Amino acid sequence: MVQYQEAGVDQTFAALADPTRRGILERLGQGSATISELAEPFEMSLTGLKKHVRVLEDVELVTTEKVGRVRQCTLGPRGLEDAQQWIDTYRQMLEARLDRFGELLEQTKGEQQ
Amino acid sequence: MTNDQQETTAGTTTVTTPSDREIVSERVFDAPRDRVFAAYTDPERIPEWWGPRGTTTIVDEMDVRPEGAWRFVHRNPDGSESGFRGTYREVTPPERIVQTFEWEGMPGHVLVETATFEDLGGRTKVTAISLFHTSEERDGMLASGMESGLTETHDRLAELLARG
Repeated sequence: MVQYQEAGVDQTFAALADPTRRGILERLGQGSATISELAEPFEMSLTGLKKHVRVLEDVELVTTEKVGRVRQCTLGPRGLEDAQQWIDTYRQMLEARLDRFGELLEQTKGEQQ
Repeated sequence: MTNDQQETTAGTTTVTTPSDREIVSERVFDAPRDRVFAAYTDPERIPEWWGPRGTTTIVDEMDVRPEGAWRFVHRNPDGSESGFRGTYREVTPPERIVQTFEWEGMPGHVLVETATFEDLGGRTKVTAISLFHTSEERDGMLASGMESGLTETHDRLAELLARG
């Protein structure tokens, strides 16, 4: 569904706007970890960390799985594709903007400014 | 990539990434600087060029003076809308405009765009430098323990920029 995907892009950027959540992604880039392993370097309560993981899980940047009594966290399938998409989009916007601006100047050449 | 490109040929947009958080685009226009600057800052002309082809740009606000706000909305072909906003920081006709750029879909990530207009004698070179700022820089909340992680984030951003 198109609408869902568009909302997902926005949510992904919001998820990435938080330094703790980016830290979690960096950590998971080195391999999966439990909630308490993730909480340790951030000196954060398990509850606080779980909230961050939930946000990342909602946008599919992280997947979690209950293994016995602990919850194992792994990088999700989507990775940072959406962040790349935004930067690429911005870049394309810039190029198109200057191209179109050039066309406008050509078209209005005779006009008095 | 370097900036040693053809600087005086009109009509080609050159995009380079000189640092990990910078995008620089350059283009020479076959028009005098006053006319280029006037067109660039004319709200009535914005819908004709600012947005990508296929989108309609609506100027909601465009107060071209220091501390003045701007807000443009793209209407996409599917009917959805994307809002962009920012503040003019410096307006020096006909030489330079500095403004912030924020996509409303990604609040907290602010770009600073600096556009300079160089007089080439009848033609004008426009250089637009876009510098990405992260929200924690803006808010001054850089926690010391996060620095290495941030460097990695910036490295990753640089890779993304290089790849594009």
